[in-house]
Amino acid sequence: MHPVLARKGETVLLMGNEAIARGALEAGICLAAAYPGTPSTEIVETLAEVAQYTKTYVEWSVNEKVAFETAYAAAISGVRSLTAMKHVGLNVAADILMSSAYAGVKAGFVIISADDPGHHSSQNEQDNRWYGFISHIPVIEPSSAREAYFYVKEAFKLSERYGHPVILRSTTRISHTRQPILLEEDIPIEKACKGSFERVIERWVLVPGHARKLKSKLMEIWRKIQMETSEPFVKIINPGMKTVVIASGIAYSHVSEVLNLTGLDDKITVVKVNMPVPLPRKPIEEVLSTAEKVLVVEELDPIVEDQVKRISLEIGSTSKIFGKEYVPLNDELSVQAVYDAICKFLGSCSPQRWESIGDIKTDPPIPPRPPVLCPGCPHRSSYYILKTSLNRAGFRNVIYTGDIGCYTLGYQKPFETQMTSFEMGGAIGIGHGLSKVVDELVIAIVGDSTFYHAGIPGVVNLVFNKGRAIPVVLDNSVTAMTGHQPHPGSGYTATGEATAKILPEDVLKAVGFETYVINPLRVKESVATLQKALEEFKKGKNIAIVSRARCALEVMRDARRSRVVLPVYRVDPEKCTACQACVNLAACPALVVDPNTRKPVIVEDLCAGCGLCASICPYKAIQVSNTPSSEWEKLW
Amino acid sequence: MKERFNLILSGVGGQGLITLGRLIGRACILAGRNVTIAEVHGMSQRGGSVVVHVRIGEGESPIIPSGAAHHIIAMEILEAGRTARYANKDTVMVVNDLILPPPLVKYPSREVVVESLRSKIGKFYLYNAEEVSKEITGSPISSNIALLGFSLSVNPLFEELIKKADIERAIEDMFKGKSAELNKEILHRSYEAGRSRLGG
Ligand code: SF4
Ligand code: SF4
Repeated sequence: MHPVLARKGETVLLMGNEAIARGALEAGICLAAAYPGTPSTEIVETLAEVAQYTKTYVEWSVNEKVAFETAYAAAISGVRSLTAMKHVGLNVAADILMSSAYAGVKAGFVIISADDPGHHSSQNEQDNRWYGFISHIPVIEPSSAREAYFYVKEAFKLSERYGHPVILRSTTRISHTRQPILLEEDIPIEKACKGSFERVIERWVLVPGHARKLKSKLMEIWRKIQMETSEPFVKIINPGMKTVVIASGIAYSHVSEVLNLTGLDDKITVVKVNMPVPLPRKPIEEVLSTAEKVLVVEELDPIVEDQVKRISLEIGSTSKIFGKEYVPLNDELSVQAVYDAICKFLGSCSPQRWESIGDIKTDPPIPPRPPVLCPGCPHRSSYYILKTSLNRAGFRNVIYTGDIGCYTLGYQKPFETQMTSFEMGGAIGIGHGLSKVVDELVIAIVGDSTFYHAGIPGVVNLVFNKGRAIPVVLDNSVTAMTGHQPHPGSGYTATGEATAKILPEDVLKAVGFETYVINPLRVKESVATLQKALEEFKKGKNIAIVSRARCALEVMRDARRSRVVLPVYRVDPEKCTACQACVNLAACPALVVDPNTRKPVIVEDLCAGCGLCASICPYKAIQVSNTPSSEWEKLW
Repeated sequence: MKERFNLILSGVGGQGLITLGRLIGRACILAGRNVTIAEVHGMSQRGGSVVVHVRIGEGESPIIPSGAAHHIIAMEILEAGRTARYANKDTVMVVNDLILPPPLVKYPSREVVVESLRSKIGKFYLYNAEEVSKEITGSPISSNIALLGFSLSVNPLFEELIKKADIERAIEDMFKGKSAELNKEILHRSYEAGRSRLGG
């Protein structure tokens, strides 16, 4: 049984995202919709896994805006719901976010924004607490994975109390941390899953006349939330001291550890903030009335700090307020960073507490290990095929615009086939724009999931406005990067039901492209097809390419399960001349060069049998070393 | 608050670090300990550096400061070198005798990294976890459990917090039937290997 389904009173090990899922289930949600994105993915993934048992409708939508709309629709008809996305995903859904604050909800509605301070898997580290201000939607920020479980329930309560959406802001360090969680309640068996839509036109139809009135109501709710909330959104620990530390979200966990380690906990008042936007007014006023100096510790932007300063000004407090003078404005906070900040603020303790042996020095130094395409990843072959055919067709200095997915790793050597990567679907729009202003050929590479998410409007525009970029869809029929969630080309839904399969080539054809579908496992054949396609392009046709093979991780998993033997390759040291062509062109992690002979060796445990290296080797030194099952190719 | 026991797990994506973290977490629950397990990894599915921070004891902050690790388990030699900064002079380090160089780069040899770690870390152990795993299961997939078994027996501070029996029960919870049996056998064998390495 999934740990998320455990009974009340049990202690289960849950990661922050699973804890959020469990909390939401306890709160009685009946619908959840999301688009996967690290670090938010496991929230809806967990809900999908248990959907059958919890009788919850769960979907992977094509993008965050659609996911938001789906969940919001449930909430305005009285069904509790949740939508989850990574911080940048909220940008995609920002439009409906703003409107949802005007119209409000009939049942609890929580938007989870999983932010990524430290850029672990994102193009930026934007602080989504700002969205609370722009939209006038309160933002709840837990301090740990365990608290995420508790505060998601509080978020639902708050949402229902005010008939208003609520944002729960998690961060990577909460979403991806596991803690034992003592379950406080069972998941309710009975819950409201049937909504009813009330036809209150002036609420749901945001024409200016209606919106104006709704905005006044919104301002009233906003003020109320500021004035009426305190515990559990703000807690004052050890009140009445002259020195105060205010900490929001995860920063509180670091602060509490530092104060414990330094034995300062009984000399300082600590204000634990779990609703940074809007900051509950009364408890802050209370603290400021006796404080002499205050340090605000929060991750990224000075959101709590600015509000504290403003409240201080308004009530004429004389406390000295510090924050970003001592606490970094970028990157994740840590015990170390908070320790340093508090030391500086107090002007006392010495900044070196933990004595590291330091980095070790070796010659050559230990190389960085950025993520790489998996052994057997079909993208590796697709890139090789693309570059080879473009080269043969005489295209030089090709510009490759790129997008978001595993294939972004193609920016690395030796491929260098991702020269831009801004946001979902960006490859196509940027590619189109570039094609209008440069002489070189532009290839716009997008993954299948990204194509559905935000690529389709781009390809429509490309044809309509006569751009000359060539869209290439790398199709592995799944959202691979985030852990294999289904999408409209997968043929099944979040909960595993069979459904229509919408193929990228059909969409591309409908839009007006002559579309070529290749199998990247067949290198020679694909190069020939692409050369033909490029000739058509030279004649002025709009062409598009779909390169289709499944994600190697899924193929290997299926092979294990169905006991299909995949080919395993081996380098014949007799034939190998150590020319390095295979290593340099394929850059497969399963190819390791023997430092003595300079001849590559294939790590058998890693080889997925794609055969790219074998097709590259000019001396035919790489060959299949086992007897693969006859039907192995069908798995790809 | 007593200082928490800080354990670093490091290696390459796909080596089973996340599973190892979960297993230790489960064992902590069985042993009645509080724990936080933070997974730090990059963007893709595989092949990048992965560091899991496990902190046993009361407290919520998930990341271990540089120099504050009591124990480090590294599943690959280059990654062991990379995590040296978490170590202080008292840290115990257990390293899988395996080197997996990233493609297309120059890298130091196994001997160079091992020597450099050995010279700085008082309690440094190199252990061939793949060998045990392959012998028992036919694949290197359970090397993670072998390193855990070995670690437990060479670090009394660690064993004080969770017992081998807690890990055995956690294995029973997380794996089914035959695979649970094989993993327990790996745990046992590696634990004994650690014992004999201590010379006891
Ligand atoms: S997860 Fe799949 S698609 Fe992503 S790099 Fe690995 S094999 Fe390629
Ligand atoms: S391409 Fe062939 S000959 Fe050249 S190094 Fe690779 S295996 Fe050896």
